[in-house]
Amino acid sequence: MTINYKLLDILRRGRTAHENHLIDGLVRGAVSRREFLRYGSVLGLSAPLLGGVTSALGFGLSPDMARAGTPGGTLRYGQIVPAAAINPVTIADGGGVTLMSQFGETLILSAPDLSAQPMLAESWAPNVDGTVWTFKLRRNVKFHNGKAMTADDVVATFDRLSDPANGSNALSVFTGMLSKGSTKKVDDYTVEFHLDAANGDFPYAVSTDNYNAIIIPADFPQDYEATMIGTGPFKLEKYTPKVGASFVRNTDYWGAAPLPDRVEVVFYDDYQPQILALQGGEIDVIQQVPVLQAVGFLSDPNVNIISIPSSAHSQVHMRIDMDPFTDKRVRQAVALTLDRPKIVAGLMRGKAQIGNDSPFMPAYPSTDPSVPQRQKDIAQAKQLMEAAGVGAGFQTTLTTQKYLEIPDYAVLIQNGVKEIGIDLQLNIMDQGAYYGDAVPGKSPWLDSSMGITDYGHRGVPNVFLQAPLLSTGTWNAAHFNNAEYDALVTSFVASLDLESQRATAGKIQTLLLDETPVLQTYFYDFITVTKAGLGGVVSTAMGHLMLGQASL
Amino acid sequence: MTLLTLWLLSVLIFAGGHILPGNVGRAMLGPFADPTAVEVLNHQMGTDRPVLVQYADWIAGFVTGDMGESYAYRSPVAPFLITALLNSAKLAAVAFVLVVPLGILGGVVAALHRGKAADRVLSVVGLSATVVPEFVSGIVLILIFGVWLDWFPISATWRDGAGPFTQLYHLILPSIPLVLILFGYIARMARAGMIEALDADYTRTAVLKGLSYRQVIWRHVLRNALLPTISVVATQIVYLIGGLVVIEILFRYQGIGSLIYTAAKKKDFPMLQAGVMAIGGLFALTTLLADLLYARLNPRIRFGGRE
Repeated sequence: MTINYKLLDILRRGRTAHENHLIDGLVRGAVSRREFLRYGSVLGLSAPLLGGVTSALGFGLSPDMARAGTPGGTLRYGQIVPAAAINPVTIADGGGVTLMSQFGETLILSAPDLSAQPMLAESWAPNVDGTVWTFKLRRNVKFHNGKAMTADDVVATFDRLSDPANGSNALSVFTGMLSKGSTKKVDDYTVEFHLDAANGDFPYAVSTDNYNAIIIPADFPQDYEATMIGTGPFKLEKYTPKVGASFVRNTDYWGAAPLPDRVEVVFYDDYQPQILALQGGEIDVIQQVPVLQAVGFLSDPNVNIISIPSSAHSQVHMRIDMDPFTDKRVRQAVALTLDRPKIVAGLMRGKAQIGNDSPFMPAYPSTDPSVPQRQKDIAQAKQLMEAAGVGAGFQTTLTTQKYLEIPDYAVLIQNGVKEIGIDLQLNIMDQGAYYGDAVPGKSPWLDSSMGITDYGHRGVPNVFLQAPLLSTGTWNAAHFNNAEYDALVTSFVASLDLESQRATAGKIQTLLLDETPVLQTYFYDFITVTKAGLGGVVSTAMGHLMLGQASL
Repeated sequence: MTLLTLWLLSVLIFAGGHILPGNVGRAMLGPFADPTAVEVLNHQMGTDRPVLVQYADWIAGFVTGDMGESYAYRSPVAPFLITALLNSAKLAAVAFVLVVPLGILGGVVAALHRGKAADRVLSVVGLSATVVPEFVSGIVLILIFGVWLDWFPISATWRDGAGPFTQLYHLILPSIPLVLILFGYIARMARAGMIEALDADYTRTAVLKGLSYRQVIWRHVLRNALLPTISVVATQIVYLIGGLVVIEILFRYQGIGSLIYTAAKKKDFPMLQAGVMAIGGLFALTTLLADLLYARLNPRIRFGGRE
């Protein structure tokens, strides 16, 4: 690899310390090209600059994979019916997210490769300690009513979402990060976010990952559902709750002209009918199919499977403050009974990444890959049980929910721990009953000594590290309480450069492997199915389906 | 009496829904939502008030014809309920029109050929079809007639503005699993009634007084034989309208069954109450109508009158 230092020096000029630190990492080989591109995008380095740096270092840029599609036609896709009124402030279900992605857009796209891509923001950058982030907005963006999108709309959107009086679903992201009034207009096309605490991954909080954060006009219409006004490639034509919707091409769209004339959305209550409808030619795309239901499709030549890695997982918790899991050796022993490669191959048909009992899935760039992978080891597990004084085994209960593959997973765990003498009773409840009131004392999820909880995808591990594991965390089913861990997570979240993030990540991974409050044995892929020959469909593991460049 | 039953039903549903863990705001926003957001939402919808107050509020509206607003969809319940009832009635009507004549014909034929091959075949086929769950027969039918042969649409929901024939076309496939389930049941009732009537004294009298076979069957046997079948069919109407959650989900049809099912899942009480009350009312109504029809056909149980 020949390094063009002269070019590199020119490119370095005017870059902040963090940005140059990242470039140094790439030069030294501590950061790979892919990670550099992704992380540079988070820090707000422009695409030409990122390309310039990588080519100065002798990396070739990957060719643009975009294929020329043919405009026209009606695209029909199936999705799970939105569970509530279409209001960007309160939407909390996957069906609502998918529908919203037809007409609404966020400042940033958290792309399928987990990089932060410009959407309604053209560029962004943090101040020196990551407490203030400045965003430059795209200039030629119009709402569906013809009005230009400006900083006023962006400020109003984030004030609305961070206002506790609005019952906003985005509060679960913004609490402790962004308060009402902390989003400030600098000029018509520049906005500053003044954060409650330093955050190196803030761009993800205003990206598609935080799906409620679509930019809508400052004068938010009360009957939003009637217009679904946004900036997206499609405009609402008709919406029938529980049945479906149709959208038409937005001729004023700021980006590449949308290809389909119309998009028809067909709502379903379940996956099986969508699979039959795709096979029968009634729809062209199924927005998402769980791995277990997609099995029949995996070898079907008439369909095209889009499989993207996601951080969605089923987290097993063991309460560290309650028998029989107070001794960490018992928790480690349980973890050692599970054959992860077999679980991925059998339960998830290979459509998953192996987990190492922490939220750091292999696909996160911040994950430290040098932390050893935990493997099945019954002999060691038995030793640990002996050492903990429970060599003869015991009986306990695993409480969980009837959702996707979780009941099957519970049986695999039951069989696994049988080998070390643990008689595991399964208590599989309805999903609503399992979560209960979602507060300690009124929720089997948070009260059970052992349970399995489903976590949806996040573009960065921050949320997984905080609410489910911090001593103050509101989803802390394991009742994990570790001061060292809390300090490590605070420092991880505040880190602005990838190398220090990864160094902290390594410590967190090691600590969690030792303490084992939770088990993450696999992170399953997100699967979208289209009929063969349909190209240009982009989906995110968060549930967005982007059809602007889709064509037959 | 009917009103008392309905009132008790409403109390049961309300109480049952509130005894189960989880509150409405939580059900709407999901387990991972911020507690403040849940609180605000519960306050907006009034679901943070005492249960008795909520019930009083609901019943006061209900008796004046106001079914309230759906928690989930934030709009009045009535249009959702009316659409769902209408849809369910259409599907039930198609299934009903297909299965009742078929079932009675099957029962009559079986009874007239008692113990012979036709009787056995009808009994075995009818009974086997009854025990096949709807989700199995539904998927098989969709695969054969929707995917491979492509004769019928897979979705029972028609496009806006579709005429009655298009609507009927969409409803044929989803009604077949219902026909399969009910055929055996109705045929068995009709067969039993027929056999009883064929063995009755009045039938022997009719034959002995020289009436033709056709006249005996039409004027004496059938009329008496079908009485029990009528009450059976009447109780099935409510099932056909309100009990089709599986069929409605599989064929993507917005009926009252799936309306109640999703409302219960989401703790959307106004929607749930309205749906259950509608089904309860319908049940009371069909039972009443069946009794009246029965009385009309069977003078023996009429009160007072001596005709």
